[in-house]
Amino acid sequence: MTDDPKLSRRDELEALLPFYLNGTLSGADLAAVEEWLASDPAALVALAEAEAEFAGTMAANENIRPPADALRRFSEALDREPARGVSAKSWFAEAWGRMAGLPAGFAWAAAAAAIALLVVQSAVTLTGRNDDFSVAGAKSEEEFFALIVFKPDTRIADISALLDANHVTIASGPTASGVYRLNIPAATAADYDRIVGLLASAPVTESVAPGRKPADGG
Amino acid sequence: MVSFTQDPQSDHELVRRVARGDRAAVRLLFIRHHARVYRFVVRQIGSETMADDIANEVFLELWRQAPRFEARSEVSTWLLGIARFKALSYMRKRKEEWLDEGEAAEIADTTDTPEVTAMKEDKGAALRRCVDALPEEHRTVVDLAYYQGKSVTEIGEILAIPVATVKTRMFYARKKLGEALKAAGYDRGWP
Repeated sequence: MTDDPKLSRRDELEALLPFYLNGTLSGADLAAVEEWLASDPAALVALAEAEAEFAGTMAANENIRPPADALRRFSEALDREPARGVSAKSWFAEAWGRMAGLPAGFAWAAAAAAIALLVVQSAVTLTGRNDDFSVAGAKSEEEFFALIVFKPDTRIADISALLDANHVTIASGPTASGVYRLNIPAATAADYDRIVGLLASAPVTESVAPGRKPADGG
Repeated sequence: MVSFTQDPQSDHELVRRVARGDRAAVRLLFIRHHARVYRFVVRQIGSETMADDIANEVFLELWRQAPRFEARSEVSTWLLGIARFKALSYMRKRKEEWLDEGEAAEIADTTDTPEVTAMKEDKGAALRRCVDALPEEHRTVVDLAYYQGKSVTEIGEILAIPVATVKTRMFYARKKLGEALKAAGYDRGWP
């Protein structure tokens, strides 16, 4: 039980009381402590002392106040760390894993959307023009567009909902860096700005960069 | 509302998001666990300023190591293990600096001071002071069990020691607490 042969059975039970109190004891150790508590009045005294230690240790720790600006400073340090990309393959595997928990009809619709996105990406990759948005899958260069990056954990259903709500379609992407080109159905610059603003403020959006937009006044 | 087999906000799921490069997820884990990690480090090294730097380093390490996290333990246990390693590294470095500077004599034994101070306090305050005054290896198991809520096995993982050693340390930690309280005028009733 312990690695000190000098300790008695009672000593070993005393050593287990903190774990009985924090709720992590199980199996034979839990049974032994419960048996001791049920049969020996001295065990209840020991338990009361352990409870006092519990309270004292909590207070000693909570007297330490973390710095109020810790998150801000951590965020600054985090922003200096190099980005970590997500490969299309792992992204698809993740999406597939998530779809496994969906109702069958919905899952197949989502799967179709995921495959469509991969086909678009494959076309981008095959043309060897990952950073050029005038690629297979993209329509006319006359269309108004914006570039968008979704947060890495975004679900296909959430992307579809956002795009549908704004009548936006994916023209191409993602590139190797996760950028999609979206067709923006805007007749005026104000219309374009409004739609891009809605996309930018969506919870699933990491960032949006405006692209070609209508000239002022139409 | 679509539900997944894995809670999207669980610590393990957040680490998976971090592994995919999601900085928001690492910030969320920071918000959840920073205070406990910071306190754990303060309790070990005794310096709030250095603990602040080390705690930040722990979460940057989370960012860097997330793709290799195997989810065999709780995320909090993993973080405390990283914190323990970094605190030990810091303490080793500090000790070497002291010795290099010929200041080893300043490593004073102050173990009886808290007992004297405790004479003027109530039992709760005396207990806090006695916990603070425990030797580091004993105080750490007490903190991990009572404050961090860790099991014998998890403490073994964090400290990289056998389960039997965790129990032995806990016994002697509690024994020392009882002796310190008794010296401060509070009979703990230890056998």
